Amino acid sequence: MSATAATFERLATVERSPGYWSGVIRRLRRDPVAMVALAIIIGLVLMALFSPWIAPADPYRSSMLRRLRPIGTPGFPLGTDELGRDMLSRLIYGARLSLLMGVTPVFIAFFVGSFLGITAGYVGGKVNTVVMRTVDVFFAFPSVLLAIALSGALGAGIFNGLLSLSIVFIPPIARIAESVTTAVRKIDYVEAARASGASSMTIIRVHVLGNVLGPIFVYATGLISVSLILASGLSFLGLGVKPPEPEWGLMLNTLRNAIYVQPWVAALPGLMIFITSISFNLLSDGLRSAMDIKA
Amino acid sequence: MLLYIAKRVLYTLPVALGVSIVCFMLVHIAPGDPLTSVLPPDASAQLQAEMRRLYGFDRPLPVQYGLWLLKTLQGDLGTSIATGRAVAVELWSAMGNTLMLAVLATAIGFVLGCLFGFVAGYFRDSWIDKLASFVSIIGVSVPHYWLGMVLVIIFSVQLNWLPATGAGPGGSADWVWDWAHIRHLILPAVTMSVIPMGIVARTVRALVADILSQEFIVGQRAKGLLDLGVLRHVIKNAAPTALAVMGLQLGYLLGGSILIETVFSWPGTGFLLGQAIFQRDLPLLQGTILVLAMFFVALNLIVDVVQTLLDPRVQRS
Amino acid sequence: MSAAAPLLSVNGLTKHFPLKGGFFGRSTGTVRAVDGISFDVAEGETLGIVGESGCGKSTTARLLVDLIRPDGGEIMLSARRLGVDLPLRDLRRNVQMVFQDSYASLNPRLTMEEAIAFGPTVNGVSTAEATRLAHELLFKVGLEPKRFAGRYPHELSGGQRQRVNIARALAFKPKIVILDEAVSALDKSVEAQVLNLLGDLKRELGLTYIFISHDLNVVRYMSDRVMVMYLGEIAEIGPVDAIYERPSHPYTRALLAAMPSMDPDHLTREAPLAGDPPNPINPPSGCRFHTRCRHAATVCISTPPGLYTLPGERHLVNCHLAIPNSGHPGIEAVTA
Repeated sequence: MSATAATFERLATVERSPGYWSGVIRRLRRDPVAMVALAIIIGLVLMALFSPWIAPADPYRSSMLRRLRPIGTPGFPLGTDELGRDMLSRLIYGARLSLLMGVTPVFIAFFVGSFLGITAGYVGGKVNTVVMRTVDVFFAFPSVLLAIALSGALGAGIFNGLLSLSIVFIPPIARIAESVTTAVRKIDYVEAARASGASSMTIIRVHVLGNVLGPIFVYATGLISVSLILASGLSFLGLGVKPPEPEWGLMLNTLRNAIYVQPWVAALPGLMIFITSISFNLLSDGLRSAMDIKA
Repeated sequence: MLLYIAKRVLYTLPVALGVSIVCFMLVHIAPGDPLTSVLPPDASAQLQAEMRRLYGFDRPLPVQYGLWLLKTLQGDLGTSIATGRAVAVELWSAMGNTLMLAVLATAIGFVLGCLFGFVAGYFRDSWIDKLASFVSIIGVSVPHYWLGMVLVIIFSVQLNWLPATGAGPGGSADWVWDWAHIRHLILPAVTMSVIPMGIVARTVRALVADILSQEFIVGQRAKGLLDLGVLRHVIKNAAPTALAVMGLQLGYLLGGSILIETVFSWPGTGFLLGQAIFQRDLPLLQGTILVLAMFFVALNLIVDVVQTLLDPRVQRS
Repeated sequence: MSAAAPLLSVNGLTKHFPLKGGFFGRSTGTVRAVDGISFDVAEGETLGIVGESGCGKSTTARLLVDLIRPDGGEIMLSARRLGVDLPLRDLRRNVQMVFQDSYASLNPRLTMEEAIAFGPTVNGVSTAEATRLAHELLFKVGLEPKRFAGRYPHELSGGQRQRVNIARALAFKPKIVILDEAVSALDKSVEAQVLNLLGDLKRELGLTYIFISHDLNVVRYMSDRVMVMYLGEIAEIGPVDAIYERPSHPYTRALLAAMPSMDPDHLTREAPLAGDPPNPINPPSGCRFHTRCRHAATVCISTPPGLYTLPGERHLVNCHLAIPNSGHPGIEAVTA
């Protein structure tokens, strides 16, 4: 019955199955729609990172002499805006603030919301009641209204915009995190881990996080598109980013009166928001089915 | 069942109270003093103190909240700093315009969404499904304020078929049900309907696909039972959820109409909010948000109760 | 066996669950899941626990490893009392549990070696040493480490997963393993293999089992002694042969009579137990079984009998019929 030590020492010879995440990545790579969406997103991120090298002109240099030129003007392939600034350069630079304002709040809300929801779900009892009832109150606002209420009260500015949007996305993420954690907590392997005498922190780290972060993450990626639209929407309303910074929502706002002169130039920033938002949505859908999570 | 409804109503009260606290706090998280926007910059310290007392800003927060809540419950939402008129009066006319827009948009979105969703779910995994799913994903991904601009560019600027802004000819705000006014409603309503359309389509597609994959339906179809019977079954089972989604979407549109109302200069609550933000008119901001949020809370409650009545199996917690 | 102190001794163990409901989650009653039970388990024996669902079998198991806090009673391990001179950590290291659902018992994100090594590592064993131990245990439960150590739960069959769960419990080098319906979900042929494995492991490692099941045949095969539970109480406890050959409690007799038999001489002729057990929220007065008992008399309705030790053997029964001068007029007098 006793086995030789050599049998157990050669760990390298153990056959290993690919882990869960490598399976997810493999399935995702077979999804052409998700791959195209991912390529677009990577392109947008690269555009934001390397704008100074990509953009043909200075996005801030205005000229009253060449205002609102049409698409295809020599030297200004996408025309110029109401202050004569190069549209192509402004759209390229716009990726920086638009992505920052759209993605950061979801990122922050992912951490804060997961922390609140997992804590509430794992600890249960009074902690759960306090956290979840507070979340319910914020959930009772339509997200657009809450974002506008908060940033309307706080006033314009990048920081206030980020803060408002983060607060908007914490409740939905906390809700998902709480329900997933409550479900996982009741499963036998968590009970077995408790019976092993492991501390709550260890159980959460080894047994809870690995099983709840995936679903929460997928849900959060689905919020990025909403966040992008909302963030640009805030700037569109004069909240959020302030002029003269290039940001797609703000550009859409300042070009609104130009629709009678150069309608298609005026519509370009919105197209960028649309492309970004739909790419994130398609990637999120692909990720969801690759991770086999029910909607 | 009655107990569930009673519980659901009771549960709404603390949420509504919490919502009111958040709205109350909006004025207090604002940087600076809410009075600075009305007072001249060189106002004397005495005038400032007097105004502060007049508005009640000198008392402790919980007391201020209590007084504010009491006033609010009596229908007094305060006075607009910018116009000097009662917030409730400003809201009343705006609310009607927003409701009209949101209800119409929800109706359009619901009909189209059901259609797309049903076709997609019925012919699951066919090219029709892929197309319908793509349309619905566009619906939830498009920045609707931009879509509004594009529609204005096409139908007002290029084709000159429909007016671009306002709620009536010559900027009149009084609504009349005639073509001159209805023309103004078309573009904003269609723009707004895109969001509920996408979401309703997604929901209905999932519901229909799920119902059709149930064994007894597969059996009925195999037996060659007339599709009409299957159709009736699908509608009966999908309707409660689809209606609930529609109700919630109406709430989201009411609260989220600001962007579209800004694009079309539609004189509704969103437009009012925009003004309040632009002029830093905090009482107006606070009152509008409170009313819209309470509308949403009430709508949530109604949707839950109606859904429970239609389908007693569903009891959302 | 009787001279030394029992390995595990349970005294007056009680767990009442408050029933949440009504407005604002006020308590509207209590479920008396486990109501003051006492029993001993000797070193090296297997105690079987049987009873209908809801009788408190699983709650008892969970109380023994402190997954739920008891409301009353004491647990003693090797004459050390939990909470006094027995730290919880020691109890948990010495008493391990295997659950019914082999899939739910394993974290889907951990490989088998990680799952088994988890317990030792949280108790201070180095990862390398714990992994080596995991491989050794996999071998011991009949799974070749080379093939199984790096696998995930969904790649294994139910029987293989339950072997891993046993290995995981053994990783603590426990004295007692509680098997809570551990083989109930398995196919009959697989069940037999796992039962044989459990027997081998017990002999090799000198284990003590608490074997919980609703399958009376399996309990008979595995157990040295059997405890019959009814509505949170012990109905009868005693050596396996005494319980199966000379059951003294009408409930035990009813359970045994309902057992499917392969023996043509002992065909099941009647269904002596009618209906479901009464609601444990408001258990019947007196003897809890009187509402379903064919021999119930007035005394059964008014007075709880209490455990009575039958003469001669370690056989205890909770029934007025067995107690001399209990006031019960006897079977003949009351049987319908």
